[in-house]
Formats: sequence, C-alpha cells, structure tokens
Amino acid sequence: MHRPKPNKLHDELDALLDGRPVELTDELAPLVEAADVLRIELAGYQLDPGVADRHLQRILEGSGTVVQLPVRQPAGAWDVRRRVVAVALAAALVLAPATIASAAALPGQAMYPFKLAIEQVRIASVQWSPTREAGERTRVAGKRLDEVESLVRLRMFSQLPNALKALEQAVVAAQVAVAEAAEDGAPVATVASRLTQVRADGGRVVEEVRKAAASGSINLTGGTRDAVQAAVEDAQQDVLPPPGRETVPTAGTPTPTTPDNPPNPPVNPTPAPTPPSTAAPPPPTTTPPPPTTTPPPTPPPTTEPPTSAPPETAEGQPNGGEQTGAADGRDAVDEVPPTTVTAP
Amino acid sequence: MLGFGGEREAVSKVGLTAADLVAARLREPAALTRIYTAYAPALFRFFMASVSDRHLAEDLTGSTFVSAIEGLPKFRGPVEALGGWLFQIARHDLYDHRRKQSRSRIEPLDDNLTEAAASDGTVDPEELAIARLEGGRVLRALQELSPDQREVLLLRMAGGMTAPEVAAILGKTTNAVKALQHRGLASLARVLGLRSLRETQERPYPSPDPGRLTSQEEEEER
Repeated sequence: MHRPKPNKLHDELDALLDGRPVELTDELAPLVEAADVLRIELAGYQLDPGVADRHLQRILEGSGTVVQLPVRQPAGAWDVRRRVVAVALAAALVLAPATIASAAALPGQAMYPFKLAIEQVRIASVQWSPTREAGERTRVAGKRLDEVESLVRLRMFSQLPNALKALEQAVVAAQVAVAEAAEDGAPVATVASRLTQVRADGGRVVEEVRKAAASGSINLTGGTRDAVQAAVEDAQQDVLPPPGRETVPTAGTPTPTTPDNPPNPPVNPTPAPTPPSTAAPPPPTTTPPPPTTTPPPTPPPTTEPPTSAPPETAEGQPNGGEQTGAADGRDAVDEVPPTTVTAP
Repeated sequence: MLGFGGEREAVSKVGLTAADLVAARLREPAALTRIYTAYAPALFRFFMASVSDRHLAEDLTGSTFVSAIEGLPKFRGPVEALGGWLFQIARHDLYDHRRKQSRSRIEPLDDNLTEAAASDGTVDPEELAIARLEGGRVLRALQELSPDQREVLLLRMAGGMTAPEVAAILGKTTNAVKALQHRGLASLARVLGLRSLRETQERPYPSPDPGRLTSQEEEEER
C-alpha cells in the first residue's frame, strides 16, 4: 500500500493543525483528534481575572521584583570621568611603549606597521592646518629617507625596493601638501626648504643605491637587484632625480605651469647647484650635497607667496628651467628661504 | 486596529499594532494592558500545562510579563515577532524555575486538595474532581512525551504559534519542529487511546499498554 513520504505527512498534519484545507486521511485523523483533545484541555485553563488585575497592576507600577533583566544603570559624571581616565591610562600604557619601540623600526620588521599607523594618526591630527600637514608629511618623507639609508647601512637590501617606493610616495605626498598649503596662502617657506633638503638628500642616496647596485658592490640576488633598479629608476624619473641630472634639462625651457596643476611633479626643486657639478656626477658619499650649500645666484624674494613667482624672473637665471618649476607652487616655495637651509 | 484605508499597518495575530509596540516601549499603560491581555492567557496555559500548578503558573505568567516589559526597549523585532519573544522569555523563566526547584526539592501538597481547599465552596467539589481527573489524564499523557515533543506541542497548542515561529523560538528548523509535532501527537494519541479507523478495524479491542498509565480503556474501566 502506498504511504506518503514522512515530510509530506508532517506538512499535511501541520496544515490541518493550522486549519488549512488538507484532506484528513485515516492516518492523520487520530493525531488531529489528539491535538483537539489537547487544545480543549488547554483552553480550560483560564487566568483568574483577579490575578490578571494583580499582574497588570504590578506591570504598570513597574514594581516587578521576580525576574529583572540586567539593565545598565546610567553612569554618573564621576563614573564617566573615571572611565575616561582609565581608558586614557590604558591607552598610554599600551601606546607609549609601542610608539617608542616602533620609532626605529625598519621595513620588514614587526613594529613597522605600527610606526606607519602612528604616522597616519599624526597626519590626520594636523589636517586642520595645511602648514602643519605639509610639515608632518615632510617629516614623514625624511623618515622614509632615513629608513632607506639605514637599510643600506644594515645591508637589508631585500627591503630596499619597498623602501624606495615608500620614499618616493612620501616625497610626492609632501610636495602636494606643500603646494596645497601654498595655494591656500599658508606660510610654508620653512617647510618647503626642509622638503627641498629631503629631496636633495634623497636624490643623492638614491643615486648612490643605483651606482652600488649597478657596480655590484652590494651583494644583491638577481630578483632583488632588478627590483632595486626598477625602484631607483622610478624614483629618479619622477621625484628624486640624481644630483647631476637635476639642472640639465631645465636650461632655457621654461614651462609655464600654473598653480592649478599640482599633480605634475616638480622639474627640479633644488636651488642652483655649483657650476662644475652639472657636468659630472658627484662622488658617491664623500661630497656633501651641492644644491643646498650654494645659494642661488639671485636671492629670491623671501616674503613673496610662492604662487606669485612669475616665469619671466626665472628666465633670467642661469638655471631658469629649474625656476620655471616654481610656477607650480610647491617648487616656488622651494627656492624661497635660502637662509634657512642648513648644510649637512 | 487594522488600518484598511490605504497602507495596511503591521498587525500581529492577536491584533496588536506597531504603534502598540512603540507605546509599550514607552510604558504607556493602555499599550501595556493590550499586550498583557493579548498574550497572558496563552502564557498562562503554557505554564499551566508545563508545571501543573495553578498558583505557580500564575506567578510565572506575572514574572514573565514583568521581565518582558522591563526588557521591551531592547526588543527590536516587528510586532508580529512579539509573541515568539515573549515565549522565549517564558521558556527561560520556566527553566530557571525548574533549576531552582531541582536544587531545593520540596514535595508540594496534592494539587487536588489545594485547589479544593481554595475553592471555598463556590465550585461543586464533584465537578471539580471530575474536571481535575480528566485534565490530569491529558496532562499526564503529555508527560509521556519527550521534552522536545512536549514543548513543541505546548507552543503550538497553548501558545498558538505556527511551526516556523516555534522553530524560531526553539532554535530548530521548521521541518524538525513539524517532525517533533507529528511524533508527539502520535504518541499522545497512542497514550490517550485514540486510533485510526483502520487500526480499530484491525484490532477492535486494542490491548492497553501496561507501561502507559492512562489509556482510554483504563479510564473507561475505572
């Protein structure tokens, strides 16, 4: 004899119990009857009206004492202060040692991400002021440069490609921040000179890395050498030109850039280098960076806003192409304070 | 309660609206009364069938509502889900009660005697005794089921929940609830001596199961 599947029986019984139209089979009839018996039995249990009134009274008075759900009491002012102090103390206990420990971290080390996170927090905390943000980003660029130098010194060459890219990105970010601050009319002369210094040092360091990688004086594996060379090329092409190349393409070719095109990287932010160094590249390590030590031939106006530097003043200078980059805003501020630049 | 003009307002099976729920969260007396009136009978039946003690069932009903009203601001579901939420609290309260009871095991007075003493002559003792006897038969039959089957049947029959709602309360699938319901009713029918026509024709005098205390035949013989 054909018997329906159990699931179908379950569904049919459920439908019958819900009052939905289903054929009442002989098999289900006693079950439905049992359900009816149970329903009738349960329907006989009626709550006493007096008891219901007492319940309602208790509910409406809110004086229930039988079972209380855990309800958090509103915190008083003293509690709030204690919690704030506790949180601040805990944060200080955790963050201060971590910050100190991560300050000297290098790429590839465990604390390095923490260092980056702290830098991001610091940048975010000064974004209300374009000048401060530019200063902070410049400081970060300097940190990246220090890291590259440390990696070279410690012979951690496998991290060099990443460090060079990070340096390039940090310098670009700092340039953009300085340019934006200059557009806003913020006083960024000091920051711009610091950034100029960073770029000059960066160009020198990157060039040293390039030479060392090319000559084989540092022991690099094939993949690492390629990556380092690619990173060096990128950096030198866009942001950190080598000291010898930075004056060459600029002579007599002023590019009338406007302050509205900050994405263009500056052609050459460094002030006038010493004339003999234009032809030959500087020695790798012993020669101090020439651009920052020599003042420009014509002292630029230190008080002028960066964006006001007209292109025609650049044309009259020996390295006019370099000065034309000044119209970009961020490069204009690079040349502003020659007196504030300190020779290494 | 139903807003048949234009948009239809969400209404629970017991006629509560979302506005009632909002007002109850704000402890508006009228809304609290409506919620109590809508669900208290079902909760009382559930507790009564679970503990077989009227006073205890009344206390548990009251305490469940107090807990629910206190926690109502935390209830984030729609008004249709309020019943299931209330029965979840009821289950927790019932488990709490059983846990406490298991720690301090005290044999209660016989329910019949207690109720007869409390009836103070307004109810005919004979009728009360017969009613208690019959009621006891069904409740005792219910005790023959597994806890899961019993709980499913009580939520379905006493609470008026649908199978999916019971599944949500118990944390089971709807199919599992339907299967438990089927097996529970089959057991209940067997214990109560309810048989299908075919079974009756095959066995006109069903032999009572000696393991079962309350079969139909035993009651009739008694």
